[in-house]
Amino acid sequence: MRLSFVRPVAQQLFRELALTALLLLGVSFVVFLVLYFSPGDPFSLLLEGQMVTAETQQQLRMALGVPEHWYSQYLFWLGNMVQGNFGTSIRSGLPVLPEIIRVGINTLYLTVGSMVVTLLIAVPIALSPAQRGETPLNWPFTMFAYLVSALPVFWLGYVFIYIFIHQFKLFPILYGYSSERELTPLFFLLPILVLGVGNGTISEVVRHLRDEMSRVLQEDYVRTARAKGASAWRHAFKEGFLIPITEIVAAKIPFILGGAVVVEQVFNWPGMGRLAWQAALDRDYPVIMGIAVVAALFVRFGTLTQRVVYVMVNPRASQERER
Amino acid sequence: MTGMKQYAQASLMVTDPSSRSMWKQAAAIDLLYVGYGLFIVSLVVLSYILGSLNFLPHNPQEMDLSLLMAPPGVAGHLLGTDFMGRDILSRLIVGIQAYFVPGLLAIAIAITLGTVFGVLAGYRGGGVETAVLYLGNLVDSFPRLVLILLVIAAFKPDIYYIMIIVGLTNVPNVLSQVKGKINFLKQKNFIEAAVALGLKNRVIIFKHILWYNCRSLFIIQATLGMAEVILIETSLSYLGFGVQEPIPSWGNMVQSGANYLLQGKFWLSTTPALAILFTILGFHLLGDGLNNILEGRRST
Repeated sequence: MRLSFVRPVAQQLFRELALTALLLLGVSFVVFLVLYFSPGDPFSLLLEGQMVTAETQQQLRMALGVPEHWYSQYLFWLGNMVQGNFGTSIRSGLPVLPEIIRVGINTLYLTVGSMVVTLLIAVPIALSPAQRGETPLNWPFTMFAYLVSALPVFWLGYVFIYIFIHQFKLFPILYGYSSERELTPLFFLLPILVLGVGNGTISEVVRHLRDEMSRVLQEDYVRTARAKGASAWRHAFKEGFLIPITEIVAAKIPFILGGAVVVEQVFNWPGMGRLAWQAALDRDYPVIMGIAVVAALFVRFGTLTQRVVYVMVNPRASQERER
Repeated sequence: MTGMKQYAQASLMVTDPSSRSMWKQAAAIDLLYVGYGLFIVSLVVLSYILGSLNFLPHNPQEMDLSLLMAPPGVAGHLLGTDFMGRDILSRLIVGIQAYFVPGLLAIAIAITLGTVFGVLAGYRGGGVETAVLYLGNLVDSFPRLVLILLVIAAFKPDIYYIMIIVGLTNVPNVLSQVKGKINFLKQKNFIEAAVALGLKNRVIIFKHILWYNCRSLFIIQATLGMAEVILIETSLSYLGFGVQEPIPSWGNMVQSGANYLLQGKFWLSTTPALAILFTILGFHLLGDGLNNILEGRRST
């Protein structure tokens, strides 16, 4: 690895880290605003059904250490969160963060696995016309990508359950918290497959990859490589494959996380999405706020990785603000 | 002087892409996409009108306990009946009401705000652009469904609240499209010519940028936006938020019918699922086909 890599990458990394920190601050502010303007904040929930005058309410706030102004409330909450104190769940009374981390691991398996499945389907469809030109199979494959992207993922889940569990009995039938101790690889496979096929991003991945690859294959440097007998694929790999893939994966993380909420519901999967669903049902603010912040962390981490890969492949980019 | 102005005006008109030749040059496959998309869109609109006029084959709420889970075609029920003996076709048609008007609201929010911020970022540039891009990135940091669940928990599971969030989360998308378009147009001479002619900023932005050059972009964004609205609405009503039984929505029809899938009564959840599939497919194909034709993506 040449040394010239290091400086632009470090510069870019620093800039992106600063931007990420700023964005996460914004995220926390948005989440706080939603809570602040909600009709029943946790404080009024505490006083529900009790006749209190505004004055006693004020005194109670003072006694409980709830700051008076909105900005000191925000800073109080933010300070707690930075220290890892996301509050306690209204429903279970347990601290929020350990719970989110515990189930977040399961969601991580699910989303990363399904991303791999999506790419395994989309990449061959995208690259086959670039390699072989227009073949008769090209159109059916593209159509397939469109169809699969429009599938409602919850229905796909039931169909997979019907086919693989009910008809062929390939997978254990029990999904859910009870059997959490015996998580077999088989147990993971079906939800991952369903989310990978049905997350609705395949057609966009195909489209993006195909456009970029066919553009890069027409560039001068690839033509030169071809002319001197070198592998066009090797020369097109970085710009035509690595960059678009990281771009589209980073851009689709929010989508996949959203799909995970639904798929976890279908399979009774003990993950973050199901926790979010339960929290929304119970109006359990601390939990859903924590999940929103953690999910935003996921998304930002993906974007950060994408930018770093981009700069490593193309150090010139650190001079450009926008591509 | 007036002659020169007329000449310049004429040169402004030349840059307005004449749509007729575009349709003639379009690839057959794109025309097929657009044709299928338009068919689906007209079907949805027609069904919405029929549903609101209550012009249906059966009463969607009427239970027929002698005809539980009748297969398609039995006793005048074209698509069969569900687990309470209600006509599935009528419920499918009425189910469109769950997303149609709220979806239009979401699209209107996304396009209006996206255009305002896109023009601000693209035409002004500088600090305003940085601020707008920051806000766009901020909204993009949230997974949409998680943000919606947050709002549901904090306020109430009302479809209009949900659709406002869907609209707001679509703003960065429209914004970046409009901004990209303006950055592209800025390199062309005609905006410079318009500025040199002393046209007001208002006229340049609304007439020459937005009306002449961003029309197709709005239509495409609205079409793709509707696909997302349907996806979100059906997912949420599947999860039990949004429209509640006995009012039909495609999402809660799939959900309530899914229990009978394992018994082999597949049409209960499959018909609404296929309705979702083909409708979203239609909106996707319409949007992408129009994108290929009007924005010339395939010509490269």
